[in-house]
Amino acid sequence: MLAAPDTQAIDLPTFHSVIDLPYTLTPGRATGTFLAEIGNRKIVGSHFASGKIIAPAEDFSPDDGEDVQTFVEVPHTGVLEGYTKVNNDVIGLIQLDGCDNEFAHIILADFETLAVGTRVEAVWADGVENSILAIKGFRPAPETPIGKVLPLGKPANPIEVIPYAMKLDYEHAYGPYYGRMFDEIREFGRIMGVRTSNGDDALLPPRERDDITHKRTGTWKACEDTGTIRGCSIINLEFIGQTRPPPYVYAEIVLDGASTRLIHMIDAESIQWAKDNVRPGSRVRAIWTKGERTGSLRDIERFELIDG
Amino acid sequence: MSNITHGGHVAIVGVGQTHHARRRTDVSQAGLVREAVDRALADANLSMEDIDSIVVASGPVLFAAVNQPEKWVVNAIGAQNKPVVRVTSGGGAGFAGALAGYYQVAGGFAERTLVVAYDKLSEGQLQYSISTLYDPFWGREFAVGIMGFSAAYWRARMDALGHTEEAAAMVAVKNRMNAIANPYAHMKKEVTVEEVLASKPLCWPIKLLDVPPISDGAAAIVLASEKVAAKSTTRPAWIQGIAYCCEADNAPERSLMLSEPLAIAARHVYRAAGITNPRRQFDVVEVQEPYSCFELNYYESLGLCPPGQAADLIASGATQLDGDIPVNPSGGCMGANPIGAVGIIRLIEAATQVMGRSESHQIKDAKLALVQSGGGWANLRGCAVLSA
Repeated sequence: MLAAPDTQAIDLPTFHSVIDLPYTLTPGRATGTFLAEIGNRKIVGSHFASGKIIAPAEDFSPDDGEDVQTFVEVPHTGVLEGYTKVNNDVIGLIQLDGCDNEFAHIILADFETLAVGTRVEAVWADGVENSILAIKGFRPAPETPIGKVLPLGKPANPIEVIPYAMKLDYEHAYGPYYGRMFDEIREFGRIMGVRTSNGDDALLPPRERDDITHKRTGTWKACEDTGTIRGCSIINLEFIGQTRPPPYVYAEIVLDGASTRLIHMIDAESIQWAKDNVRPGSRVRAIWTKGERTGSLRDIERFELIDG
Repeated sequence: MSNITHGGHVAIVGVGQTHHARRRTDVSQAGLVREAVDRALADANLSMEDIDSIVVASGPVLFAAVNQPEKWVVNAIGAQNKPVVRVTSGGGAGFAGALAGYYQVAGGFAERTLVVAYDKLSEGQLQYSISTLYDPFWGREFAVGIMGFSAAYWRARMDALGHTEEAAAMVAVKNRMNAIANPYAHMKKEVTVEEVLASKPLCWPIKLLDVPPISDGAAAIVLASEKVAAKSTTRPAWIQGIAYCCEADNAPERSLMLSEPLAIAARHVYRAAGITNPRRQFDVVEVQEPYSCFELNYYESLGLCPPGQAADLIASGATQLDGDIPVNPSGGCMGANPIGAVGIIRLIEAATQVMGRSESHQIKDAKLALVQSGGGWANLRGCAVLSA
């Protein structure tokens, strides 16, 4: 019999990290046309050679990948094919009259009053363009007649670019090795690694397995806050997400007592100064951040050259 | 990996790529993929019905903010109800996708597999997105995509292996020149060594003209078994060996002077393909050079020259179009760099060479080609040998 190991989850503090990214998305011809016309209170669908009509419009048939033949204007009325409650919103699957697919949107009605098969109609939002939210939602309309699909005439030029943003919050678990390393940095201002399985040099960051021997790593060891640059480059470009203004030196540093790299920064007066003074083999020391330590690599503000 | 020669023979029998661009505002990601797939199927004389399985390869989801894009892509290419997997491996995504497809056909699970790779880099933040491959605890906040890292180890190789700024500039000049004839490239401008050296430092020693463009693009290949290859073409490009290896991220013995995973992959692939003297045996080479300095590194890691002689090799002219071992006659990444697609683009360029079908930059009588690709921060590297 397989015995479950006697281990438990333990609640510990996590490391908060954020990824915050702007985008410029390209919807393509069909979705771009749909988005361009929605501000005119027209719902654009795709008419395929097979006779199927898909709305909102798509470039390729979801059945067989066939190219769109023409764009059409589809009715603002349809049938509720399914629904659910998400927080305080009711989300429903709507099949517009004359169309062969369903799509999701907000249902403007009490959840309890709805039934699959309810006739619905679009409710338009004021002042919204280039977004499916130009339709505020769909509301029950039991008496509304069944709408007809119409030719679109000359469609508006498709919207080519849609600004978008994604902000992602994470709570990373440290695990026992990173946990102790950052505790040691916060409490004692020292950088501790673990010895390799067969030597005295420390692995930084510390880890359970030696990458080379695949055996368990050895005991903990404090490294110096001085070290030697193994690789360095001079950052002179600006980009979104950058944490300090260029120019500065990106350095991969092997701390004294360790055998692996720590990535950090060295201030540069100028590109020329950095070219002349910072190179593989240069000796550096950590400049600790003033004030209370937080238990992260930010507790080291930067490195600077020794005798540099 | 000792069994890599034991599967069935696999060939590339159809290829297609988009006209790559800095920004394609006329198509969505799915529309971009569709163009490459239509071209590859037409080239292979096939329709989607003939395809047994699909591999979709693209870079990190953060590049373009669509998670699980394969569900969108299969709709757009009419591949509903077929087996599909997505493979992602940073810059090596396309190559890793080809390897996944190769395994399916070599293993007898498919007669024909379509591999399509793409990235639409105009949509997101390239360096920031790439920086998220760093450990969030250990270095991400100081990361500069892979550019900071790549430049740092180029700087170290300058001292250890003589990979000078001039040598890398010659790579940039060669590839940018070659790209001018490539109908699918979008960066077509001749530059001089002096101009490369004088261009703006971005992450010195990497300068603006050492860096390829940022591109939107897709590329697709059809892989076929020996049994069905002839339906598509009388002259397939046979895959004589293919491998993709990794090394530990922050291991104590990681030197970063030679690319160790690439050297290991090359050893396996050369054994499978019977390569004992790469410089003499290969007619043409296509490498994925995210920055000019990497091509020098790959000359040595692939055994085209001994360590420390890459600068001499480029200076000798041997890797030029008319040299004895042309590298990147297509222009490589310098002509277009839709990152996730690049592994497939390099395979396409090498395949069309040994098929004798490169319209614009055919190397005369090319019979044997070497392809390199890779991803991660230099720790995932692979290569393949293609033959007529």
